[in-house]
Amino acid sequence: MSASASSLRSDRPRGRWVGRLFYGFLLFSLVLGFATLGALLVQVFLEGYKWVDLVLFLEPPSADPLIAGAEPAILATIFLGVLLILFTVPLGVGTAIYLEEYADRERWYNRLLEVNIQNLAAVPSIVYGILGLAFLVRGIGLGRVLLAGAMILTLLVLPTVIIAAREAIRAVPDSIRQGAYALGATKWQVVWRQVLPAATPGIATGSILATSRGLGETAPLLLVGALTYVSFNPTLLGEFTALPVQIYQWVSRPQEEFRTLAAAAIIVLLGILLTLNATAIWIRNRYERRW
Amino acid sequence: MSPADSASVKGLRVSFQEELEALQANLQEESEFVLRSLRGAINALQQRDVELADEVIAFDDEVDDRYLAIGQGIEQLLARQTPVAVDLRLVLAVLHINLGLERMADLCVTIAKLTKLTAELEHDATLIEAFEEMGSRAEEMIRVAMTSFAERDLVGAESLVDLDELIDRANRRFVKHVLELGNDPELREWGTRMIIVSRCLERIGDHAVDIGEQTAYLVTGEFREFTDASHPDE
Amino acid sequence: MSATMAAVSVDLTARARELPAKEFREVVFHVEDLGVSYNGNAALQDVSLEIYRNFVTAFIGPSGCGKSTFIRCFNHLNGLIPGAVVEGKILYHGEDLYGPHVDPVEVRKRIGMVFQKPNPFPKSIYDNVAFGPRVLGMTDRLDDRVERALEQAALWDEVKDRLKASALSLSGGQQQRLCIARCLAVEPEVILMDEPASALDPIATTRIEDLMHELKRDYTIIVVTHNMQQAARVADMTAFFSITRGEEGQRTGILVEYDATSKIFTQPSDKRTEDYVTGRFG
Repeated sequence: MSASASSLRSDRPRGRWVGRLFYGFLLFSLVLGFATLGALLVQVFLEGYKWVDLVLFLEPPSADPLIAGAEPAILATIFLGVLLILFTVPLGVGTAIYLEEYADRERWYNRLLEVNIQNLAAVPSIVYGILGLAFLVRGIGLGRVLLAGAMILTLLVLPTVIIAAREAIRAVPDSIRQGAYALGATKWQVVWRQVLPAATPGIATGSILATSRGLGETAPLLLVGALTYVSFNPTLLGEFTALPVQIYQWVSRPQEEFRTLAAAAIIVLLGILLTLNATAIWIRNRYERRW
Repeated sequence: MSPADSASVKGLRVSFQEELEALQANLQEESEFVLRSLRGAINALQQRDVELADEVIAFDDEVDDRYLAIGQGIEQLLARQTPVAVDLRLVLAVLHINLGLERMADLCVTIAKLTKLTAELEHDATLIEAFEEMGSRAEEMIRVAMTSFAERDLVGAESLVDLDELIDRANRRFVKHVLELGNDPELREWGTRMIIVSRCLERIGDHAVDIGEQTAYLVTGEFREFTDASHPDE
Repeated sequence: MSATMAAVSVDLTARARELPAKEFREVVFHVEDLGVSYNGNAALQDVSLEIYRNFVTAFIGPSGCGKSTFIRCFNHLNGLIPGAVVEGKILYHGEDLYGPHVDPVEVRKRIGMVFQKPNPFPKSIYDNVAFGPRVLGMTDRLDDRVERALEQAALWDEVKDRLKASALSLSGGQQQRLCIARCLAVEPEVILMDEPASALDPIATTRIEDLMHELKRDYTIIVVTHNMQQAARVADMTAFFSITRGEEGQRTGILVEYDATSKIFTQPSDKRTEDYVTGRFG
């Protein structure tokens, strides 16, 4: 019998138990997180689904819960979403292109820029609110209008878009750029005709996800002047409210029905956000590249 | 695989294929030159034509040029194309055949030199006629050998053994007749020299058999002698 | 002379790959004392040679000998790497590639490149080949240009029915031929190939080598290869690079021998070359 013919059974049972324990812990974390979230969602849904009807969508808020709707809030949220995308995409993608393709990493101002983008993404949203109040509403005298809300949300969401766009641009292999340069393309042509088209799915996904995060923010909107009671539909330079704010307002009312209305509005808000996220995921899956 | 078959798998490494074909074409051409040399040597011998003999000797330079060129072609092919399998066997076969053809040409030169040497001597006319037969046999063997090589014909290559046997017998008969020539010293000198000529023709036959063996090697991958002189009955 | 012995002189060199004599060769590049360093470390130094028109010239040598660095000097791709400094001269038809006011775009129009790993753009086959002409403003008769380039790259028959399909759906060998077609579409004079077949299987490799043989009729080709046998098969001239060590142990590439391929592989002049091609290189 040779030395190599010893048994194939494991001689480290303790190692296996640690492995199992670890696996169990992972499962537990997963379940804890999802179960809690699931419980919350189910509770909200059960409470509010009966009140998700045309009244909710088409009627302005009122003191009477039976005829109260969230039309101005819903319209405003949608409006804000559109403006967010319009503002953040050019700004974010432009910054990302500059940082990835043009900037000389050795220069101090570029290094400063890099570090600060990460910081900005971590700043609490209420700080953006104060910023908006000081500079936009009062500083340049824009007033408490929808545009101001859109602008401040843009600033909030911009760092995330920049980071996502940079990742998408970095994911374009350098061999593509080299191939394009070797054919006689200028830097601009390489970026515009090869890098950007290839990075578009990633940029689109990142922008949509960042926007949906922005639409859920309440604090900055409150500070910039979203009113808690608005009965007219929003315009660009008019006073406004938004779904998160509307929900907050209804929850703080004493009547039981308003809480149910709030639940219904939450469902609508979640619906909007989930639709946005699903779109992002669909785009990512459809255009995913295998290099 | 015959050249006709190989044409259908043309497509990859075309320049390499062309080099191989050029090498074989040059080899065939060299064999044509050898045949010319042989025919010239036989004619000079039979007609006791010293001028023709001189031409044969001069013509050997042409064969030597081909020999060197083919040798260089083989060196280039091996260094640059790293042939394997049938291509390698082909190149090695060409190498051996090239050598054999050059030897054959040298043997023709020897015959021509002996013709010059014995031009003024007494001779036996009937014996000289034997050379026509041996010479034709040798020519036939060269043709069969080169054609079998070109067509990768194993049966044709093996038939060379029997043809060689005929030359061997003719050689033995010739020696026997020379020994019966008598006592005339000139005749005896002539006879001795003619034995060498006969031996040269017999050697040419042996080289042709070698070419057949190379064809067999190319086709079967095995290198073997058709008949072994030291084991004649195997 | 009798009819039997009349010798007919036959052209023995009909197929022998003998190169035209030096005086008949046209010089495309004249390289003089070229050196390249990255951030102060010399990667290559003192390279001088001439590249001839319609020749395939191969650069061989061990890893790190600077052959890839060298080939990228010819189309200014080294300029894309920060910290790369090129010294010396490369004269292209008499004009210094590294002279003042030389536009890399103009250089790359005339001197194209094919890379080691096929890098088709994530676009359709047609758009890949059309990219070069489009960015250079050669948009007249674009369909003809694309077809001609694909034919020269021996790919037309395989893709003519699916020009709009994604380039990434092609096999590795086809992708590399697509990259060659892309390069040919801008009608360069010189084609640089940096280990074009090292990522491909043997049949695809042979196809590329046969293609080089055909293309050299119209183009001048420089190829870097780590496969010596490939250089032996395809190249007319071969340059062997090796590594020397400096006083502090830094490694720099140098040109050891540059000669006809037939000479390099049968009777190299330098022992280092012989050690390398026989595989005895340590």
